[in-house]
Amino acid sequence: MADTILRVENLKKDFGALPVIDGWNLELVKEERIAMIGPSGCGKTTFLKIIADLDRNFLGNVERNFERIGFVFQEPRLIPWISVMENLTFVSSDEDKIIFFLKAMRLEGFENYLPSQLSGGMKQRVNLVRALIVDPEILILDEPFASLDMPVKFAIIEDINALRNQKRFAIIMITHDTKEAISMADRVLILSKRPSKIVEDVKINLQEGERDISNTEFIKIESDLMKKIFFY
Amino acid sequence: MKILLGILIFLIAWQVFSVVLNVPLILPSPYLTFESLSHLAVQLDTYQAILSTVWKSLLVLLTVIAVGIPIGFFMGISESVYEIFRPAVTVVQAVPVISWLALVIFVWGIGWKGPVVIGFLSLLPISIFTTASGVRSTDKNLIEMAKVYRVPKVKIVKTIYLGSLVPFIFSTVEVIIGDVWKVIVVAEYLCGSSGIGVLISWARQYVDVPKIYALTIITVALGIASERVAKMAFRKILGKWQIPS
Repeated sequence: MADTILRVENLKKDFGALPVIDGWNLELVKEERIAMIGPSGCGKTTFLKIIADLDRNFLGNVERNFERIGFVFQEPRLIPWISVMENLTFVSSDEDKIIFFLKAMRLEGFENYLPSQLSGGMKQRVNLVRALIVDPEILILDEPFASLDMPVKFAIIEDINALRNQKRFAIIMITHDTKEAISMADRVLILSKRPSKIVEDVKINLQEGERDISNTEFIKIESDLMKKIFFY
Repeated sequence: MKILLGILIFLIAWQVFSVVLNVPLILPSPYLTFESLSHLAVQLDTYQAILSTVWKSLLVLLTVIAVGIPIGFFMGISESVYEIFRPAVTVVQAVPVISWLALVIFVWGIGWKGPVVIGFLSLLPISIFTTASGVRSTDKNLIEMAKVYRVPKVKIVKTIYLGSLVPFIFSTVEVIIGDVWKVIVVAEYLCGSSGIGVLISWARQYVDVPKIYALTIITVALGIASERVAKMAFRKILGKWQIPS
């Protein structure tokens, strides 16, 4: 399909004698958002590294039809001894874009701060801005909200959704939180234990305005999703 | 205040031991030592000797940094370079000062070059290995991040590797500053033509033990003062490196 941005066929990965990924198949089309939920150690982060071309030691076929990738790491990975602005210009020289996304992520005025002077939520926002300023065709989110409290987490999710509706990049997200997954994804892939397989591909039939955790339909979808996760 | 108390206790203990032992050839009293120190303080020779030791120490410090840090950097960045250089640097580190001494006297005789070369060879391995371990301990997550965003290698080296290295460079300099005085004074004693070590050597020949102690106090004071100044200078610069992200 012409719109396919990522195609993964029979992906297998092991760490020596330890098989981790056991024959994953998936396809991501342009602008699509998928979330992946699975137990710890089932190869989620390894999969993201394979997509980002950081790990080439695998079996199977990975077809990447994109040039630019934004990666929001689980921990902010900011260079501690340079300012927020310098951390951003480290990956892109487009200052107009940097200023635009800093504003969008409510980080205006913090350009000259060192990472150590920012809160956890703010660091994660800088991590996100860094991923967005490269104008990504695909945005990878590796449990980016794991260390954040609920209000901060959902404020950032709201910002990402708003920007994504504007910029239309595809998203692959890893999470342990069903609320995060439903708030951000069009499909949720459920993974089994190691050696993992994709055991369910759940479509999230919610419009943008309905992705509110207090929405009845949201709650119902979450409940169904939880049952499926517990089943595996 | 506590430091002053510590010094006072040290001086009292020194006085007590010197009285108990009553062998001024081994342990002169603090009074005799400070009397000798006051004599040294009014002699031009003393200042010339201090100046001589100071410039040799600075020369060693600068050359060790200029040579050791680049070698250590490349050893840290490349496993092959590390394996190629490691045996040689380890050998240099293991060679006793006396062997260098024989060599430098043979090549240059008595003079300033011997102490500088001995100081350089004694301290070079420390700067190389500290720098290499600094580069090797660079946060791999930051390198991975840079690779994802296809940041050019030159920029990765400049921003991440060199940035990671800064605290190690400062700690190397701190260690070298602490050691350089001792090494230079020993080398001056053995093959120098001027400097504190030479004054100690002359004092030994005249069995002027209080003078040996007084010169030792000068050397220790120089070491402590230079270390303090370096620490104060580095503290401000290193502020942003010491706070974790």
